[in-house]
Amino acid sequence: MSDAVTRPLRPARNWALIIGAVTAVTLMTWWSGRGIRFSLTELACNLPGGRRLLVESWPPEFSFFPRLLAPLLETLQIAVVGTVIGGILAVPVAVLAARNLTPGFLVWFVDRNFMNILRTLPDLFWAMLFAAAVGFGPIAGALALTVFTVAVISKLWSESLEAIDMGVPEAVRASGGSWLQMLQFGAIPQALPHYVSYALYAFELNVRASMILGLVGAGGIGMVLETQRSTFEYPRVTLIVLSVLVIVLIIEQVSESIRRRLI
Amino acid sequence: MIREAAIRFEGARVVYPNGAVGLASVDLSIAPGEFVVVVGSSGAGKSTLLRAVNGLTPLSAGSVAVQGQPVPRSEGRALRRLRAQVGMIFQDFRITRRLTVMTNVLVGRVAHVPAWRAMLNLWPAADREIAFRALERVGITDKAWVRAGDLSGGQQQRVGIARALAQEPAIILADEPVASLDPVTTHQIMRDLVRINQELGITTVVNLHFLDLARRYGQRIVGLRNGEVVYDGRAESVTQEDFRHIYGRDPDAGDVLDGQAAR
Repeated sequence: MSDAVTRPLRPARNWALIIGAVTAVTLMTWWSGRGIRFSLTELACNLPGGRRLLVESWPPEFSFFPRLLAPLLETLQIAVVGTVIGGILAVPVAVLAARNLTPGFLVWFVDRNFMNILRTLPDLFWAMLFAAAVGFGPIAGALALTVFTVAVISKLWSESLEAIDMGVPEAVRASGGSWLQMLQFGAIPQALPHYVSYALYAFELNVRASMILGLVGAGGIGMVLETQRSTFEYPRVTLIVLSVLVIVLIIEQVSESIRRRLI
Repeated sequence: MIREAAIRFEGARVVYPNGAVGLASVDLSIAPGEFVVVVGSSGAGKSTLLRAVNGLTPLSAGSVAVQGQPVPRSEGRALRRLRAQVGMIFQDFRITRRLTVMTNVLVGRVAHVPAWRAMLNLWPAADREIAFRALERVGITDKAWVRAGDLSGGQQQRVGIARALAQEPAIILADEPVASLDPVTTHQIMRDLVRINQELGITTVVNLHFLDLARRYGQRIVGLRNGEVVYDGRAESVTQEDFRHIYGRDPDAGDVLDGQAAR
């Protein structure tokens, strides 16, 4: 094998970059830890407090469960309404924000920034806003989750849309198709599995979020959680957390199996 | 009586935004019902020539007219109406793999049915009939309800041809239609194109890389080099010398499908 071509040498690793990055992350963590006065000794001293809370919370008060059924159902209903309406509204928002599909720069620019604003403001903010607007209760929660869903799906899906093959959309245009027909027959079918996947993901997030939303009075199981927590009914709190956990796990399993079938 | 040319280029020039010249200055007239094969090395402007006909690539100067009507330079209703009369077939098929063969073929009808019907997938019976006839013509009627992505390469290209036929076009443009197919399928697809040209009298312009295919299937051969027409003549009279002129070098085994130098 003496006449084999010279094999190229393996390029040297960029040690300076590796060491620099590790050092930077270490320093940043140390600095932040000091900033929040994180101390292992204090943590160890306070552990019994946490243990006491856990002991007081166990066992869960199962007899309380019948009173959870209605709020749990309401939580699911809030999540369904928010996901479906938000999922529909997210379609135009995502399409206009995809560089390859948007009809013009100005539309793209405005829509991009609209999306960024939606995403930057937390769901709790929207819940408080809508609670003030339409009153405390599940409607406010559903509206907040609608906005949250638009923010989640439009961001993720516009990126999937940007990654599609533009050959088919061009072929639709070459047959005399309009912009909408180009979307319907050329662009969207390619990214449809992603859309379903993100919508299911948004639904999972929404079931979880509706627990938090109750804290600001936006309906659902979260409102029960808040009342029981503030009156130190920890065994009931445990039951609430467990029941939400079970629901979320079930939804995750179902949506995972749907997603697998799509791909 | 002078018959209107199916396609007429006059001083057609295309300069891409990066400064590359697609077409230098092309004068070319194609009569109704002709079967023209365009040859030239890659980058000679073959694709640009075809894409100028349906306005996918707008001209920078000069004009191109389809059946006497100038091709509009910007997107809009007028251009869509013109594209409806011009079917296009692509090297990479450009069909939506996730949709059925039938839906892909019906895309050829988008410019002929009311927008709301296409949107809701409520295609008129007459248009479904046209789509079925297009499938019959390329011999894949039995695949109508199969997902397009499940077909073989040759069958997928037939879906592309059926989509073009469903437009009931006056002109078919085929941009390297056999470049991704094996030799056997290549000859089948070329025979399909010739048969459609003869049976329906549709003016056909095909870009080909292989010289033997050009000579075997073309009636008229147009040679492009650096964006200019450097050869235009009957297929049976084209010589080795002509090919040398078109390619700027001696044709070799890579320029013929059957792997032997053109004689």
